[in-house]
Amino acid sequence: MRWSILMSVALFGAGAVAAPLGLPPVPVPADNAQSPAKVALGDALFHDKRFSSTGTVACSNCHDLAKGLTDSPLVTSEGINKLTGTRNAPTVANAAFNHLQFWDGRSPSLEDQSTHPFVNPVEMGLTSHDPILAIVRADEKYKKQFKDAFNIEAAAITMTQVSQAIAAFERTQIYGDSPFDRYWFGGDKAAMTSQQIRGFDVFLNQGRCVSCHVVEQDNALFTDGRFHNIGAGINRIQGDVPRFVTAFLGAKHAGVDVDVKVLSDPHSSELGRFAIDDQVDSIGAFKTPTLRNVELTAPYFHDGSLKTLREVVVHYNNGGVTKAGDPVNDYLSGGIRPLDLTDAQIDDLVAFMEALTSPALKAAHDAAAAKTASASAQTVSAQTASAN
Amino acid sequence: MKVLTIALGLTVAATFGSGARADEFTDADLARWQSQFDEVAKEGRRLWTSPEIGTNGVACAQCHPNAANTHPETYPKFQKQAGRVIAFWEMINWCLRNPLQGKQMAADDPRMIALQAYATYERRGVALDPGKH
Amino acid sequence: MTSRRNFIRTAAGVVAANALPMTWVECAFANKAENFTFGYISDSHIQHIKGTEFVRNWDRGLIRAVAETNLLSPKPDFVFFGGDLGQLGMKEELDHGASMLAKLNYKTHMVMGEHDYYLDLGEYWSKLFGPQHYSFDHKGVHFVVLNSILTYDDWTYHRWPTAAQRMQEMAGLDNPNGSPFMVGDTQRKWLAKDLSKVSKDTPLIVLSHSPLQKIYRGWNFWTEDAEQVQALLAPFKNANVLYGHVHQIQYNQVGSIAFNSVMATAWPWPYPQSYAQAASQLPKLTVPMNRADPFFERDATGWQFIDVGTGRVTANYQLYDNKSRTVAFDAATGQPQDVIYQPPTARIPPQTHY
Repeated sequence: MRWSILMSVALFGAGAVAAPLGLPPVPVPADNAQSPAKVALGDALFHDKRFSSTGTVACSNCHDLAKGLTDSPLVTSEGINKLTGTRNAPTVANAAFNHLQFWDGRSPSLEDQSTHPFVNPVEMGLTSHDPILAIVRADEKYKKQFKDAFNIEAAAITMTQVSQAIAAFERTQIYGDSPFDRYWFGGDKAAMTSQQIRGFDVFLNQGRCVSCHVVEQDNALFTDGRFHNIGAGINRIQGDVPRFVTAFLGAKHAGVDVDVKVLSDPHSSELGRFAIDDQVDSIGAFKTPTLRNVELTAPYFHDGSLKTLREVVVHYNNGGVTKAGDPVNDYLSGGIRPLDLTDAQIDDLVAFMEALTSPALKAAHDAAAAKTASASAQTVSAQTASAN
Repeated sequence: MKVLTIALGLTVAATFGSGARADEFTDADLARWQSQFDEVAKEGRRLWTSPEIGTNGVACAQCHPNAANTHPETYPKFQKQAGRVIAFWEMINWCLRNPLQGKQMAADDPRMIALQAYATYERRGVALDPGKH
Repeated sequence: MTSRRNFIRTAAGVVAANALPMTWVECAFANKAENFTFGYISDSHIQHIKGTEFVRNWDRGLIRAVAETNLLSPKPDFVFFGGDLGQLGMKEELDHGASMLAKLNYKTHMVMGEHDYYLDLGEYWSKLFGPQHYSFDHKGVHFVVLNSILTYDDWTYHRWPTAAQRMQEMAGLDNPNGSPFMVGDTQRKWLAKDLSKVSKDTPLIVLSHSPLQKIYRGWNFWTEDAEQVQALLAPFKNANVLYGHVHQIQYNQVGSIAFNSVMATAWPWPYPQSYAQAASQLPKLTVPMNRADPFFERDATGWQFIDVGTGRVTANYQLYDNKSRTVAFDAATGQPQDVIYQPPTARIPPQTHY
């Protein structure tokens, strides 16, 4: 991974980073070129639990390499003191390709996004970014790393450098080269099973997935980066939408912090993108997540309400309701409609989605799982031994 | 001598058999072939306005009067709804499956040929622009 | 995209940008006390398949437009439905459409469309909704509703062996067996009499299904007696025509008469100039709507709310999956203009890529 980053920096300069099979070059902003020093610093910051009010929560708590860079299987993420919000942690894997960050797109960049959780009451719980700056300006290791990465003295470090380093690290978390990529872009007809191949046909045709979970001629991000109401969450508040819309707008114009409100108030959270852009067309709409590595990032939807991929496909097959026959919400995206898939087609589609996992993430996941298994086995044998 | 006779014989036979050499088509041929095309295009128009090719009664002409806004001159091209570069007949199939909620057709299905004949006929004279979105 | 002129009046009187669809206040020249809004939903084309089954796509379009219209804040004074409630004028379609419209929280005025009319010449429609042409006054504005989809008597009464076939023939937009729309002698006489009682300074809003202009005959974007109808409206200082039927954004100015089309909730139609085999007269002013992605069934469909201020209308087109469009009467140029996209340099690819 590191070799390819160095090579791509050499080949493309700071403007882009080459990506694995199936992905386009990683966009890099002009004011935050990649460098090994920045990436190493960002890696350290990303994993530092001291940047929380209790000293127990780092970015990696909710974005764990062993869990597809999420906190699977948590439904909604846990911050300090195990406080929960309203949203399921999206993966950092390939987040560098998103035009907007968060389920509701309220952040325009990786740099900006990294600053939000620190000061959210149910995430890291800090009341300002000052404690972070105090630490990095005093810690000898950080002082050297910031100097190497930004040529900056300790006293001059601001959240700009902190967020740029974290973003630079996140731009290395690019995962492609899945069995699907090798099959479709690499010409390896044996890379997917025949069931997965059938599932890909459903994905492109009867399943109608490809229009939002984008595949293109020579790369596949599996997301269009747009916001759609697919009937997740909003279905629970259907009759109350007019009331919640009015209440939310009133609160917003009275100056409430949208970031805090959407993670703490379930009614506001279900309004989705509307809470950010006030457009009626955005009611109940959330950003299309990538399907890459989705096998590792259960549960699903912005509220983590569906545990398995099969349940997700059934929700779509029902035309935007989890339980068949439930009323569809009035603001449902025009792209969602009943699909008439058979059980076999549903199974095939699920199998296809399992072909989107990158070997590197799968390896990290499996290694961690093996470690947990052997640790608990040792505990059992220790208990057995002491019992005898 | 024998060989020459046979060769000459074959040429004579060919000349008298079709009334022309290869590639020498006549006005009558052109008229006949044109009318054969016209019949297929006419059938395409019938299908284009028919509520029977899907399952919900919606006809192509409801959204595409006179096959407008189908842009056959731009195919093959990248089509978002298909995830790759496709030909015109594949997009017709997308419409058959989606807004018309019907079954798609094989590329050489006479109905598919007819639909394409009609749609391209209504677009005659427009310059080719393959790949244009 | 943010227009400085988007406001919401909250309880505290604070003004904020980009709020819910609401009354557009043209501070430059409007007397706020006289302004009002009405909603406008049109061309739902509810289409019966069999039994209790209707084409889901068109149903969803009307359901969504009604739900969103109900969110308007401040509330509109009333809502118009612009015609073509059903697809083939069937009782099932009109009933199903009426039940969806009934969910509107406001009084609804109806306009006749050809898809409602040609099965039984509006008999069942009139039972449900009342007169096919009428007028009323509201806050100093004179509203006139015309049935502008009539046609020659011969075609209506003698040409077709059955009512069902007559309806089918008129239902095909590009059907060469169709017949041009008109307001007709009788209704024009009624209109002349109705308008004679209205002072020429009174703002006029005319609701019509057909365009009251001659745009493209092949698709019946056409009113055969457009010139005569326009002549009746011309003496008025502020005459505004709102029309449906075309399923796309169009606007125009003819003398003192401003024209605005409204969107369909069901499906979009191509612009006439996209038909390569015939000439058409789309108003030059019109900045086309964005070309749709047919995967999103609501793309290039929508509904609108109309602001009336100092006698002119502003059409706020609420579009799905696209930025909304606003066409406002510009006093300086004396014609409707798109508030963002009118200059040729302001166009975006979805508007030019037809």
